[in-house]
Amino acid sequence: MLNLLRKDFIALKSSLWLGILFLAVFSAFFIPKLSTSIHLVGIYTAFALLNHGTMIDIKNNNHNFLLTLPIKRKHIVQAKYITAIIYTLFGVLASYGIHWLVKKLAILDLNMPDYSVLDILVPAGIVLVLTSIYLPLFYTLSKKGTSIINVVFFLCLIALANPTALFMNMINEKGFSSDQTLFLILTGIILLFIASYYLTINLFTRKDL
Amino acid sequence: MNAIELRNLTKTYPQFTVDNVSLDVKKGYITGLIGPNGVGKSTLIKMMLGMIRPDSGSIKILGRDMPKDEVDIKQDIGIVSDDCFYYEHLTIRDSKKMIAPFYKKWNEKKFNRYLEQFELSPNKKIQDLSKGMKVKFSLAVALSQEAQLLIMDEPTSGLDPVFRREILDLLADIMQDESNSILFSTHITTDLDQIADYIAFINRGKLVFNEVKDEVLERFAIVKGDSQLLDSDIRKKFVGIRETAVGFEGMVDNRQEAELLFGNYVVFDKPSLEEIMYFTAKGGRIHA
Repeated sequence: MLNLLRKDFIALKSSLWLGILFLAVFSAFFIPKLSTSIHLVGIYTAFALLNHGTMIDIKNNNHNFLLTLPIKRKHIVQAKYITAIIYTLFGVLASYGIHWLVKKLAILDLNMPDYSVLDILVPAGIVLVLTSIYLPLFYTLSKKGTSIINVVFFLCLIALANPTALFMNMINEKGFSSDQTLFLILTGIILLFIASYYLTINLFTRKDL
Repeated sequence: MNAIELRNLTKTYPQFTVDNVSLDVKKGYITGLIGPNGVGKSTLIKMMLGMIRPDSGSIKILGRDMPKDEVDIKQDIGIVSDDCFYYEHLTIRDSKKMIAPFYKKWNEKKFNRYLEQFELSPNKKIQDLSKGMKVKFSLAVALSQEAQLLIMDEPTSGLDPVFRREILDLLADIMQDESNSILFSTHITTDLDQIADYIAFINRGKLVFNEVKDEVLERFAIVKGDSQLLDSDIRKKFVGIRETAVGFEGMVDNRQEAELLFGNYVVFDKPSLEEIMYFTAKGGRIHA
């Protein structure tokens, strides 16, 4: 498993700076415009990183390469889900850090709200939901199909920026009706992520390359 | 002992079927897997590697079952293909760093020695390597993992004769160790004329034969003679036949029987693997 994570790191080594670039671009774009920028920067950065990683895999026929190595298909999928969690944590925590810094140093006069743990949990939850839909498709579709899905997801993210911001505002204003609701939603997301993982293993194990 | 045992392997696609193939690849020898393009050689190899799941049949490699013991099996097999599997944007050094930790028996000294022998710079990116150099890199990786079995899928296709000769010499060296085995799939049969011990011939998804190369070359014969010698019964004796205005040239798969049948009325030639493949693949009657 560690070898697979290491493999991803080596493959992305020359483009790790992209993570910082994504963060900078999305921050510059969203922070001055939206009060919910903390969520959008995290979501976009994390998902763009996942997208970039899978694009590199597609370009290099990565599945064929991996299947020549002494590893099980199950572990290949497992490693990708762990990588997705790492991207999520990076995107969400880095976004939180940037927003905290901007607020603390009062770099911009933006009247930024106070941030809570919800501002980490909500974008992390959204990225995990997106990942749960995206990865089964990535492991099932052909090279061409996956390239199309990558574009479709990216377009959807752009189109959903404003509705997501409105939704976040609503949550910020009204809050969750109770802690129980929040707990149920988070549990649901985790269950969806786990179900997606098993579905992907099942699909990829039966796929001919 | 067999390095590979395939039993009743079947895989059906809408326009193509690998049909009930049973094949043994002997341990300690080079087996050439020949056949025209698109007859199922690569599909067979992909099934052996677990890239394609067969509809039915069983695969045993180095005494272990695929896919049950897939991880253990792959520790002991090296794969060399004309498809470059590696990340194009990485250097040879980075690719090695990526691959080596997966293998328990990785031999770093051997890898560096092969890089030197093949004149491959560790700083060179995979995308900057020529086709021949990519094959050499694959070979260096496969040999450094101390693989007992090399599976080579069209490794020499598209390579110039000097590269091809170098690779064939290297394979001959590897076979000095009798515990090693090689399955060499190719449609360039001249490579196998030089190095193969066994020949497995696949045509239209079926195994035509799997025999010792020298026996194949003795068993088959090219028969040349006058067209007047041919009638419908005689024609059936040929695996493939080519008729011209001045006579015929046909392939028989039982030279002794053909010698008794035709006596001194025809000329017998020893065929090359390419001719065996050509006549068998074409079958029937060919007019020139």
